[in-house]
Amino acid sequence: MKVLKIVPQKCTGCLRCELACSYMQTGSFQPAKSVIRVSPYEGHTSYAPYTCTQCAEGWCMTACPVGAITITPAGAKDVVDDRCVGCKLCTIACPYGTIFYDPDTHKAFKCNLCGGAPACAEACPTAAIVYEEAETCDWLADFAVERSTRLLAVGGP
Amino acid sequence: MPARHLIIGAGTAGLNAIRTIREEDGGASEITLVAAERPYSRMVLPYYLDRSIAESHVFTATAATLANWKVKTHIGKKAASLNAQGNTLTLDDGATIEYDDCLVATGSRAIRPSIPGADLPGVHSFWTLEQAREVIAGIAPGSHVVMVGAGFIAFTILNSILSLGAKLTIVEIAPRILPRMVDERGALLVDAWLRKHGVRILTGVALTRIEAARGKRRLRFRKGETLLADLVIMATGIKPNLDWLEGSGIRMNHGILVDDHLRSSAPNVYAGGDVAEGKDGVTGAPVVHAIEPTAMEHGRVVGANMAGRDVAYRGSLNMNIVEVCRLDVASFGAWDDPNAEAFTGLRPERSAYRKLCWSGDRLTGAIIIGQAADVWTTNDVGMLKGLVHAGVRLGAWKEHLRRHPFDVKPAFIASRTTEALLPQTILGRPSRTPELPATVIR
Ligand SMILES: Cc1cc2nc3c(=O)[nH]c(=O)nc-3n(C[C@H](O)[C@H](O)[C@H](O)COP(=O)(O)OP(=O)(O)OC[C@H]3O[C@@H](n4cnc5c(N)ncnc54)[C@H](O)[C@@H]3O)c2cc1C
Ligand code: SF4
Repeated sequence: MKVLKIVPQKCTGCLRCELACSYMQTGSFQPAKSVIRVSPYEGHTSYAPYTCTQCAEGWCMTACPVGAITITPAGAKDVVDDRCVGCKLCTIACPYGTIFYDPDTHKAFKCNLCGGAPACAEACPTAAIVYEEAETCDWLADFAVERSTRLLAVGGP
Repeated sequence: MPARHLIIGAGTAGLNAIRTIREEDGGASEITLVAAERPYSRMVLPYYLDRSIAESHVFTATAATLANWKVKTHIGKKAASLNAQGNTLTLDDGATIEYDDCLVATGSRAIRPSIPGADLPGVHSFWTLEQAREVIAGIAPGSHVVMVGAGFIAFTILNSILSLGAKLTIVEIAPRILPRMVDERGALLVDAWLRKHGVRILTGVALTRIEAARGKRRLRFRKGETLLADLVIMATGIKPNLDWLEGSGIRMNHGILVDDHLRSSAPNVYAGGDVAEGKDGVTGAPVVHAIEPTAMEHGRVVGANMAGRDVAYRGSLNMNIVEVCRLDVASFGAWDDPNAEAFTGLRPERSAYRKLCWSGDRLTGAIIIGQAADVWTTNDVGMLKGLVHAGVRLGAWKEHLRRHPFDVKPAFIASRTTEALLPQTILGRPSRTPELPATVIR
């Protein structure tokens, strides 16, 4: 399956992925509605995007009481808006923090791989996000460990 | 001869078991379903109450789906007694059903205190579809609704009552609201928030009787003023439906005691959901959670085992989330362990609160309260669940979280939580899309 591979070393923190994602998902540029989210490391000297891995369990999908989350042909777990009642159970079932609730629409929302052409990967100018055939894995841990030593030593974000 | 599976109860646990058996065996076995009600999801009833969904939306399977899954049904029939030695179930109409293995998933029912007037017209429970219909018929804009009880279930229907234009008073015998969902500081924050949003809350008041009063209900308390209500909702607790198992020899405590395969003391009788007293994934102790995710996981694990797989269950995580007037209130795991080391963080200006409970450098429980519009609230809800669920060691990040309880994300990522979580599945294989019938999907 094609997955969103994250290469955090290449991320410059330009946030184009967040803009592209929110535009694709909601039709307007609003990073708060993006489902890929860039975090700073080491006092804003480096950055990394984080999003849903489309995990094998699909914790959000199995938790939904009304079957509102399905697997798309691209292999993404996606919320069917007409079915979602907005109960938020998926947001506590997902252990990755990658499914969100939109207080304006009263629906859950998450990465659906844009139907097989993810806007974030297309927008990233440095190929820090690439959409390719790969085994999904923890793309950020090594990078985050290495880039957090100062934070942990001085004790403040 | 194909295996004969008997599923008793068509709620969350029962339906997940049936679906999983069919995912595993493609229709090879015989499945019989006995259920007092049609299959539906109780926990979405609040959205039917406020009419954001149609009644048809609550059903999780139709007659056509069940036929498609080759399930023989006895809907509207109750299990009356189980002969666990003879492998037969007797129904309330006297019919008997033989099985090779069976799942007891009869859920809970709402209970009311035994005070005079508790069964008067206009006094309702909100647990079944039938009861939801009655409440819907009884509420109009401007109605005064008195909710007796300030627990989790009461809170799940609070937004709906307000959005119908009713006035709401909550009365609670305990000194504070949400006693089993958040700690005292969290409860204070939620209490203040609700008062600010026009909900009247009376805590520490003991209801002694309800009287009919010219088309209304008058509530009398041990002390203080009386209340006049158009409609009373008794959210005063639930009890597992186990009475019919008396004399079956199945071992029970608060619920049916089950092993790590959800088998009761009779090895071919499984139990799941609100009736099961199964392993808590954090404490390891047997417990009745009476929550949707536990019922769902129990049902799926039972289904896989019934279908011949050997699937051990790691235990369930107690968790709840409820939104009241756009404030999210959530808790996980052993948030109420009085012996645990705990860090708290409060941002009064945002009505945000955190509590993180520890065993060494592992997170064992958490409370999270914050405005639904605050992006980091929902973000952290999931990550805190992940940390408790995975039980990763946080090392130096523990100290970071003591100082910055609202800065969960870097701790989550750098503790390799994703790596720990990715291989985990409940059934030892990827989950499938929940197959819903076209008739239900609309
Ligand atoms: C208003 C409301 C809101 C809720 N909100 C949440 C929430 O936000 N989060 C959460 O985690 N949980 C929530 N819950 C709780 C959740 O719905 C239950 O924990 C869950 O449904 C339990 O599943 P179950 O399969 O054990 O039982 P149920 O879903 O209750 O199903 C029990 C089944 O057994 C049948 N039955 C009962 N007795 C018999 C008998 N003798 N013979 C045959 N059949 C019988 C019933 O008809 C039913 O089909 C809520 C519940 C309610 C009522
Ligand atoms: S918020 Fe929507 S998608 Fe999530 S569990 Fe509830 S109904 Fe399902």
